[in-house]
Amino acid sequence: MSFLKESLNKYKLEFLMLLPVCLYLTGFLVIIFYYLISLSLTYVAPDYAETFPSLRNYFFIFHSPEFKTAFLNSLLFVIVGTPLELAAGLVLALLIYRNFRFRGIVRSIFIVPLAVPAMVTAIILLVLFEYPSGHINNILLGRHWFFPEVIAVPVNWRDSAFFALGVSLLGKVWRDMPISMLILLAGLNSITLDQYLAAETMGAGSRQKFRYITLPLLLPSISTVLIIRSIEMWKEFIFPYFLARRYHLMGTFIETLYHDWNKQGEAAAVSVILVFCIIGFSAFLFWFLKRVRVGLISI
Amino acid sequence: MTPMKSFTLPDRSTVVWFVTLCVMILVVFIPIYFMFKYSISDRSSIVTGGDIVPLWPYHPTLKTFAFILGYPDFYRAAGVSFKLAMLTITMSMTLGVPAAYVLSRYNIPGKAVLLMGLISVRLFPDIVSIIPVAVAFARLRLHDTYFGAAMAHSLLALPYVLYICMGIFESIPKDLERQAEILGAGKGYILWRIIIPLSATGLAAGAIYTFLLSWDEFIFSYFLLGFGELTTLPLYLKHKMAFAPPQDLLMAISMLLSLPVIVFTMLLQRYMRSGLTAGAVK
Repeated sequence: MSFLKESLNKYKLEFLMLLPVCLYLTGFLVIIFYYLISLSLTYVAPDYAETFPSLRNYFFIFHSPEFKTAFLNSLLFVIVGTPLELAAGLVLALLIYRNFRFRGIVRSIFIVPLAVPAMVTAIILLVLFEYPSGHINNILLGRHWFFPEVIAVPVNWRDSAFFALGVSLLGKVWRDMPISMLILLAGLNSITLDQYLAAETMGAGSRQKFRYITLPLLLPSISTVLIIRSIEMWKEFIFPYFLARRYHLMGTFIETLYHDWNKQGEAAAVSVILVFCIIGFSAFLFWFLKRVRVGLISI
Repeated sequence: MTPMKSFTLPDRSTVVWFVTLCVMILVVFIPIYFMFKYSISDRSSIVTGGDIVPLWPYHPTLKTFAFILGYPDFYRAAGVSFKLAMLTITMSMTLGVPAAYVLSRYNIPGKAVLLMGLISVRLFPDIVSIIPVAVAFARLRLHDTYFGAAMAHSLLALPYVLYICMGIFESIPKDLERQAEILGAGKGYILWRIIIPLSATGLAAGAIYTFLLSWDEFIFSYFLLGFGELTTLPLYLKHKMAFAPPQDLLMAISMLLSLPVIVFTMLLQRYMRSGLTAGAVK
């Protein structure tokens, strides 16, 4: 105890420098936990009588078809979007990995999407995918000389869950490519030339080099990308909010519950479920990637 | 055969590489090009009466920008955004910079755990943490205030500020401080006269990053300010969308909103890259 007191005295200034940020962030953590749990467990009857604790919010949520759709949409969004983000990031990273003259400039260019605010990206896509005569429809209808006719009638992109959420996904992947690229690039740069050269001396071809050196050594970065990106996909809000108003993901469903239907309790309940989805899915990914790593190395 | 030469890829793969490179550069630029194109479109290039919308406006014009910049509502929104961002910088730098210094300079037992704990609040999705924050702020009457919104934005910015500033402080050699100490300088003096001047550029980068984060933030602003008097630029753009405005107006506002972000991100990417990849989830 006296040791603690002594070091406290000695490092008083340092302690005072560190304390505010700890209090601030812990304060928010407490607010978030407290209100999330208490709101989701408080049932507000139509006559504003409050019951606590009550699992009724969760009961309503689990029985509402809207929630089921939002959950399935989110799950699909994650399952389709995460590999897409990885693929896009991998393509960019491998392109940059070579030595060429304008490498620095090209890397800066590839970071540009990150600098465009998400809502602006969403609005650009909204304009491009307009019905009936947005640019994308015009191009697919073959109205420009440089592109063949693919469809006969214009597509109403906002009229089906598939297209509306697909366009949201497109925007999300476009905007977040740079983050995946930077993580993968760091991974690629950590593989030294010696390892390839050693493999070559033993007669490895380019495919073998990729399979036995690049892939296993890149796996940690790939795992990071997959986990971070899947979390991002679960919590996506801005793109579906602007591009798919009628087709909910869990994020936009929370907003609808809160603002449009004025049901704070149910919004909090969906939030809690979303957090558990993220934790569960990340745990699954961890387990799965561990298996993959073992498989890749043992062969 | 030199080692480097044996590593050169055959010609066909160079062609594939080059074509892919060009395609990806196009993919990156297409949306930005169209934003630009619409923002300088004249009326006849948007309302075409059945003809195809041209890929380059018939008569490029800056009239839309002139129109927006002559509009008091736009200035008010930009002003709110600016003030809010400044308040956010003040708050998050005041809180974050000293803490980052301590965290980078001392071997505190359990530092990694402490750092994880500090950042754990950001592991909640924005859309999840905003519900409790909005309810709490409504009860504390911080709803619709600069202070409340700046507090929320600081929450978003703090992990980045911590990471960026820790990186900067770590790059200053410890010996400098030792020497000053031997010459009799106190802790406060060292901080104020040695550390801060040496890290000024990096700290400025952190401040600008915070500015950008607050400038284009949508979710927290929307829940905390969306239905009140204070309208930030992203909220202004969102309100405008409700009236189905012509694309040139929408895209010109978008240009004005994203231009500072694009310019500063390009200038400061060196500092930002560490914050982006350090595991801080955005």
